[in-house]
Amino acid sequence: MTSRLLWIVAALVIWAALPFFVPRNIADLLVFTGIYTIAGLGIGLLLGHCGIVNLAQATFYGLGAYSSAYCTVMLGLPSIAGFVVGAVISMALAYLIGRPILRLTGYFLALATLALGAIASALFFEWDWLTGGTLGIGGIPKLDLFGFVLDRPSRYYFFVWIVAFTCMAVAHNLVGSRTGLMLRSMRDSSTAAASLSVDLQALRTQVFVVCALFGSLAGSLFAHHASFVSTQSFTVDRSISFLLIPVIGGATSIPGIVAGALFVTFLPELLSKLGDIHQILFGLALVGVVVLLPDGLMGAYGRLQRRLAPRRSGHDH
Amino acid sequence: MTLSLVLQAVFAGVTNGIVYALVGMGLSAIFKGSRVINAMQGEFAVIGAMTTVLLLTKSGWPYPAAIAGGALAGALVGAFIEIAFVRYMAGKKASEDSFLLLTIGLALTLSASVLFFIGRDGHLLPPIGGEGVLIVLDAVIQFHALWLIAIGIGATLLLRAFFHRTTLGLSMMAASIDPDGAATTGINVARMRTFTFVLGGLLGALGGILVTPLIAVDYTLGLNLTLKGFAAAVLGGLTNPLGAAVGGVTLGLVESLAIIGISSSYKDVVAFTVLIVIMILMPQGILGRAGRRGG
Amino acid sequence: MTTDPLLALRQVGHSFGGLAVLRSVTFDVPEGGIVGLIGPNGSGKTTLFNIVSGYIRPLAGTIDYRGASIAGSSIQQRGLAGLVRTFQTPQVFEQMTVLENIMVGCTKLTRTNMLQDLLRTPAARAQMQEIRRRAEAACERFRLGALADLPAASLTAGQRRILEIARAVVGEPRLLLLDEPSSGLNAQEIENLRDWIVRLNEEGITVLLVSHDMGLMTVAHTVHTLYFGEIIASGDMAAIQRDARVREVYLGV
Repeated sequence: MTSRLLWIVAALVIWAALPFFVPRNIADLLVFTGIYTIAGLGIGLLLGHCGIVNLAQATFYGLGAYSSAYCTVMLGLPSIAGFVVGAVISMALAYLIGRPILRLTGYFLALATLALGAIASALFFEWDWLTGGTLGIGGIPKLDLFGFVLDRPSRYYFFVWIVAFTCMAVAHNLVGSRTGLMLRSMRDSSTAAASLSVDLQALRTQVFVVCALFGSLAGSLFAHHASFVSTQSFTVDRSISFLLIPVIGGATSIPGIVAGALFVTFLPELLSKLGDIHQILFGLALVGVVVLLPDGLMGAYGRLQRRLAPRRSGHDH
Repeated sequence: MTLSLVLQAVFAGVTNGIVYALVGMGLSAIFKGSRVINAMQGEFAVIGAMTTVLLLTKSGWPYPAAIAGGALAGALVGAFIEIAFVRYMAGKKASEDSFLLLTIGLALTLSASVLFFIGRDGHLLPPIGGEGVLIVLDAVIQFHALWLIAIGIGATLLLRAFFHRTTLGLSMMAASIDPDGAATTGINVARMRTFTFVLGGLLGALGGILVTPLIAVDYTLGLNLTLKGFAAAVLGGLTNPLGAAVGGVTLGLVESLAIIGISSSYKDVVAFTVLIVIMILMPQGILGRAGRRGG
Repeated sequence: MTTDPLLALRQVGHSFGGLAVLRSVTFDVPEGGIVGLIGPNGSGKTTLFNIVSGYIRPLAGTIDYRGASIAGSSIQQRGLAGLVRTFQTPQVFEQMTVLENIMVGCTKLTRTNMLQDLLRTPAARAQMQEIRRRAEAACERFRLGALADLPAASLTAGQRRILEIARAVVGEPRLLLLDEPSSGLNAQEIENLRDWIVRLNEEGITVLLVSHDMGLMTVAHTVHTLYFGEIIASGDMAAIQRDARVREVYLGV
């Protein structure tokens, strides 16, 4: 596995050097890629390991962002308070809502989460005493690590990505653990998994809670990056673009999530050079991926590799 | 809470409910015929309404012709989507999730196309039956609302007759209930699926055209109508298009009566909460036996 | 034999939409025994099996396991108490390897929570190693070692059946419920299956076996014959085969 180690080292070097060589707007996008990776990891766990389509991630993203905004701007608390409050509220909500709705499956569950996202989006708009409505909350301070202020995209980049790597490690742990085994068994045959005492409901709820935690964390990071949050950032459209991250990249692969996050942050930016038509092209790109690459970019990459090297063993871990 | 306020709410509820019913019936017809939940069903409404607006204002068509043109546009887009995408993916035995993502992608594309080609502004159609109103116990009821209700009920009855009386309707039912059996009797199952998308597009477009004199149509309307239509379809039993009619009116009434006295923007919150609660509390019952599984 | 039976069914009844499929079924599964259940299609065998394993709640009667009612227990709770089933069509986890399939069977023997798994604590790692060690041992024992790293989707029907049994046995069941285990197997594979049932039983696992297969059924110490939801004959296989009523309704003689 030395070649794999080499790849990782090379990737790390590029990662560390990147913000010093790219213009500010690209550094800014890379920060967003990190934030989206975190949010997308949660959805990837649900989609790839539980077969659950979560269309409510913008809700948890919004809870994290508003908690950070409210705690720092309105209450004058330190930044960490916003992260913690957002995480606690998101996880509690995910647990309370997850218990009943995760009994649903397939389309019904997907549309229930979509409805949940639409409800939250309407409430963010309506509860302007808390969220500032469309005017939003501005003046959110930049993060401050023991006196070192992360006020430029290149500085924030490192912080966001260290959080993202930590989340990736956590997700990786989960997939390789006893819980991961049970999740995969459940996805293949929930009937047989039940006969082996795998508790589907409890596991699905727990993963939903983890997904909400990642969403909230990403939201808090977003609030401190943008300095301003308003309802427009937490609509159902945002949930859809979060869902696209694992769909495009490949839900069971952690590098796939990063690829998906790069796709949804950079592609709209590149397409926007073509003018307003970019949103149409983005929609078409999604349709193209779903129709032509049903298991995402990473799945397609894997198939390509296998085709080029047919003698290699078909399943590597 | 006065009587006229309640009456006004009931009327608004029935009016909205008929629109949800039309969108929901289309969604249900498509699900019945293809086992696909069409997440762009609301976009059919936007296509129908926008086409009618353009034919009326830009091309100067007479209003009834423009309405027919709008409905036809919905039907054509429905056919196109089935032939261009669904048929291919069904051939590859794509999963439920893939179809959902496909239709979400199509919804994004269509909504972005409206934004690009037509712009951000909302557009209204003139009310059918003129600007007149009817006053019943201080409640103001637009003539258009009465027309909408009449047309909605008419469309529901026609749909019923279509499924039970015509050869095409019966063939579509047969193909959806037992594709293999239908194929052995010479029914072209793939073509029947195309027809269900035509029907879905037609019904969705009609719903959009009828609501546009009341609510300005813009590129954001589709998603909301998709969710409301889905709620209507689930309430009425997903595989029963006529049940969706009852479901739509029920949903319209519940949301408009629930918000008497509070901000009307809670309307969606109420409707979507009803949707979630119904799905949880009646996981099998409301759908009957066949509806649950994708296969 | 005065000890309590491991499993005791008393007057179990069930119906679907008004159609009675089980009527007052009463029998015991003694600890350490092999009990068979035969009956023609539609006699209620599968329903009874689903009731015992917890997939269906009976409308009437009681089921005691180790002297206590399990009427309110979920499928998972029954599994933790040592009551594990297989399926008529083997339900392997197709996208997982053979080894991983067996590892899933071990998960119930250990108790980490998701937080430990997320953080990969030493306890979580140790438990995962233990799961792997047990699964590897089971793989060798059931002669699946050569197949360990193949996806279960690539197995033959006979291999799937053995995998399903290995996966159930590795979780240390007290009562193993086998649903039509010989269906889809060839004569050689059935012989192999028969050996496994006998061997596992000798190791102390009680077996409840549902089957059409009269040949396989001879492993059972006691056989009950179900006909239209009722037990019409009980005894060892030789006695069942002599029973006039069984011959009439089931063997069609």
